[in-house]
Amino acid sequence: MEPEQGVTAEPIDANPLRWLYSIFARFVARFWGVIIILGAWQAWVLISGYNAIVLPPPLSVLHQVATNLGLFAFAGLQTLAVAIIGTVIGMLLGSVAAILAWYSRLFSGLLTPLALIFTAVPAVALVPVIARLLGYDIRTVIAIVAVISFFPSFVFTGSGLRALPPGSADLFRVNGASTWMQLRYLALPAAVPHWMVALRLGAASAVLSAIIAEFAMGTSGLGSVFSEARDSFDMTRALGASLVATIISVIGFLLAISAERIVRDRWD
Amino acid sequence: MNSGDGSMAKNLLTGAVGVILFLVLWQVIGAYRLAGMGWPTLTSVLDVLATPSRFGTFQRAVTATVRSVLLGYVAGFVMGFGFALLGHLWPRLKVGTDQTTAVIHAIPAIALAPLLIVFFGLAATPIAICALNVFFLVYNATSSGLLSVNNTHGDLFTAYGANRYDRFRWLELPAALPSIAAGLKLAVPAALIGTILGEWFGAPQGVGLLMVAAMQNFQIPMLWSAVLLSVAISLSMMALTSLIEHYVSHRFG
Repeated sequence: MEPEQGVTAEPIDANPLRWLYSIFARFVARFWGVIIILGAWQAWVLISGYNAIVLPPPLSVLHQVATNLGLFAFAGLQTLAVAIIGTVIGMLLGSVAAILAWYSRLFSGLLTPLALIFTAVPAVALVPVIARLLGYDIRTVIAIVAVISFFPSFVFTGSGLRALPPGSADLFRVNGASTWMQLRYLALPAAVPHWMVALRLGAASAVLSAIIAEFAMGTSGLGSVFSEARDSFDMTRALGASLVATIISVIGFLLAISAERIVRDRWD
Repeated sequence: MNSGDGSMAKNLLTGAVGVILFLVLWQVIGAYRLAGMGWPTLTSVLDVLATPSRFGTFQRAVTATVRSVLLGYVAGFVMGFGFALLGHLWPRLKVGTDQTTAVIHAIPAIALAPLLIVFFGLAATPIAICALNVFFLVYNATSSGLLSVNNTHGDLFTAYGANRYDRFRWLELPAALPSIAAGLKLAVPAALIGTILGEWFGAPQGVGLLMVAAMQNFQIPMLWSAVLLSVAISLSMMALTSLIEHYVSHRFG
């Protein structure tokens, strides 16, 4: 068979060893920092002779996750679901508040300084407060995630609604567009790329803040797997929960980045 | 927006009305128990804060937290800035530095806390988590700032044969300063979050410890007082970094 023309045929006729090497080199270029950290961790455990209660080696953490896939998958999905629900609620409320502020100058004047003050509030400080208000269960976790994604959504939707192409607002006004039509056909579409930035920021911290809240509540998800394991000195399982959480949050962040890129390409 | 003096005064006034409305709402919800027993009135929280016999406790807690925040903030800045420089000056390492910071940031802080306690001890764990949070924001702000060089200026440096060092010292670093200053402002709440979280894990002192103690003893106004203290620390640091950001963006922006 004739080798096909084009880029896809290239790796085949190259030396397979060199091909493997190039994959390896690319992997190292990308993950050298992580490899150093994991290597130092494994070496530290070997040299110091700590037992697994203090510091389990990375390999046994991996083994723990692989042998308890069901447990970790269930807790992980629970955390993921709570993070998504909280983010959706927070972003909806933030967008509605931003639209109200866009519509009414008075409302915007009332809300903007408050929003500024609230961005300075350390979110974890609210966990015990909200837990006292809503109860020590999953509702508090959702509320924390919602509070955390509210502010980026409010700020970025607000700036997006005002980032109109030059002259377009005048064009709408000259042609007698109603406020509703201005919102629907001009301001909202203009806000979409900004909204995606808020989603990316929210997605990055949603899973992590959900875990902090779950850890404090101890009733559901990876956070409670972590806190139970820690209480029974099972550090290997606790770190397994962290590993799964890290993977979920990295995937969520990457998905949000590619969603942002797709939307930006379509919009520009 | 209009930028006359009159409209600015009006904005300030509406803003103040908004804050006052919020405080009144807080008081009313607390007084009529609209949100249950967990929501204290504003006045009862202020009462706790103004009790002279508690001043010592508050002062020790705030001092400990501010100290951890400042140490962690500086350490996080140095690490984030240094790591960003590493990736910038040796472009081969850049993909790796990006990836490493992203992964470090994606590890839940509660997961790192037990390890940090092993390495640094209970008292230094808040500093370490604070530093990690600041590290991520400063790394991103610095590395995107270093790339924000104006093309024409870059061409000018190339045309005059500037070497790598001059290019960095006189072109890229000044161009990165506004972004770094913005990152430092964003890092303030993150620094406090890290510190408070670290204190939850059994630090001997601090505002976070005050919160946990108040929560476990059902001292609701005390809990809210501790939250208000942390907000006050965060707001005053935000104000300071905003001033720096304002100056830098005027001078180098």
